[in-house]
Amino acid sequence: MSKVRSYAWLAWRAVVPHPLRALRRRGTGEERFLANYAAERLAPTSLDARAVAEAASACISCGLCESGCALRSAIPAVRSLGLHAAFRLHAKSDEMRAHGADALAACASCTGCEPLCPTGVPITRLVRLLAAR
Amino acid sequence: MPGLRIECDVLVVGGGMAGATAALAAREGGARVVLASKAPGSTGLSGGAVSVAQDPACMPDTPFAARSGVVESARRIAATRPGHPYRLLRDRLDRLWNAIEFATGQLSAVLAPPTGRNRWILTPFGHAHPAATCHRTMAAGDLAEVRGTLLVCGFEGHLGWDPGLVASGAERVRSLGGPASRHVLLDMFRWEDGALGRPFDLARMLEAPGAAEEAGRVLRRVLARGDAAAVLPPVLGIDPEGRVADRIAAEAGIPVAEFLSDLPSVPGLRLHRAVEARLAAAGVEVLRGEVRAGAGPDLPATVGGREVVARSWVLASGRFVGGGIERRGELREGILGLPVLASEGPFADPSIRFATRPPASLTLRDSRAPQPLLAAGLRVDDALHPLDAEGRVLHPRVFAAGAVVGGHDPASDGTGMGVAMFTGWLAGRSAAGRDA
Repeated sequence: MSKVRSYAWLAWRAVVPHPLRALRRRGTGEERFLANYAAERLAPTSLDARAVAEAASACISCGLCESGCALRSAIPAVRSLGLHAAFRLHAKSDEMRAHGADALAACASCTGCEPLCPTGVPITRLVRLLAAR
Repeated sequence: MPGLRIECDVLVVGGGMAGATAALAAREGGARVVLASKAPGSTGLSGGAVSVAQDPACMPDTPFAARSGVVESARRIAATRPGHPYRLLRDRLDRLWNAIEFATGQLSAVLAPPTGRNRWILTPFGHAHPAATCHRTMAAGDLAEVRGTLLVCGFEGHLGWDPGLVASGAERVRSLGGPASRHVLLDMFRWEDGALGRPFDLARMLEAPGAAEEAGRVLRRVLARGDAAAVLPPVLGIDPEGRVADRIAAEAGIPVAEFLSDLPSVPGLRLHRAVEARLAAAGVEVLRGEVRAGAGPDLPATVGGREVVARSWVLASGRFVGGGIERRGELREGILGLPVLASEGPFADPSIRFATRPPASLTLRDSRAPQPLLAAGLRVDDALHPLDAEGRVLHPRVFAAGAVVGGHDPASDGTGMGVAMFTGWLAGRSAAGRDA
């Protein structure tokens, strides 16, 4: 019985309050996003960034790319983090991003990683985009 | 010269264990073989064991010595697993050992010769894993062979490997005839800022002149009476020419081995490099890139910008890691457009057209049950010809080998490398027109 009531409640919400709220909405999508999430230091995702993130989602964390990645100019602490840890930190908030920035900065753009990826993640494109952020 | 059309006898799609075995088997008969490889696949991620078959009929508390041999175990799998490739090829299982000896012999720079029984190698997670063979650098850690105490080593301050956990795998099988064990941390690879070395970096560092000898001296200092062999984390060199394990053993005065690897896997990369080196030495032409516009034998396919026309094809494109089976809304085979089927669990009935279902519906909540998704792949006949949706042979000169063939789960059923070597060997011989 409670199931029926829950569904009825969801249906009512979808039909009545939700469209009403849409009428009251002010500002662009980006402004509304920032109003809601800027406090949590989350940045809106651009279409470009979304395309790259989708390509990156093929990553299976196998670490083979690391064998072709020297991160030569990095200090050992950053080297042990590895480039692919930098991607993971980037997926989080701006604050986490700072931790991955050193690893990204140490990338020598040698492209040694990309042909090693079994699932075809465009690693160099990804690094370029993340570094530009 | 780029742009020129290549005409060859056999085109092998995929450069993992199945594709390499097929190419080398075809090449052995003198065929002109082109192999298309886009990137390392699951062979490059393997942990160091060559798993062919473990006896499904023996109880977990059966001593090592009483367990049946590898081929006998494969026969039992053929008798009990309806969809498994060993079942399909049961009339030719007497050739399984020829295939294993051929493939391991081709890669003898890295792989130890198989003995016919399973070796018991420690995993990083506290288990002993049965494998028909393993890397040469792991053979001295075979639990059935160690006479005395097995010393399991980790690196002081390094979180990558837990020697206590690894040693618990040996304790677990001690009553079955395994050795006693103890574990220590070696004081190596410590940097001032407390950073952890990545496995590939550690492997390269040990290859440097003097580094393995220094590691041997560190190891010798922690040895105790009764220690018969030492197992170390799987970072003992990428290039077999570096002879890291031998150099450590010589300095420490005790046999030295690696345990199996997690990801990232140094042994996987070592094996991948050995496969590539062997293909080049055997005169297989390797083209880098994806296969496009391929419709099958006698028709042109594009591989990395080159046009290839082959008399026969071997599809050894792997499963989900290698990309032979794609998951885009539904499961599909991307190169020849073949239907994908699973043949374990509730999906054993080939009349169920499950490939159109969302992949998430093909996993079962019971983690120990056979997972239809993980056994997904091509249906083949007993000559390894892939079958189309109506169950007909697609083309008499198209063969499939390795993980792209469905019905087995290379990730968990302990037959992945065995199926790759066996089907690769058979498919390669058939494609080159030799009796298989």
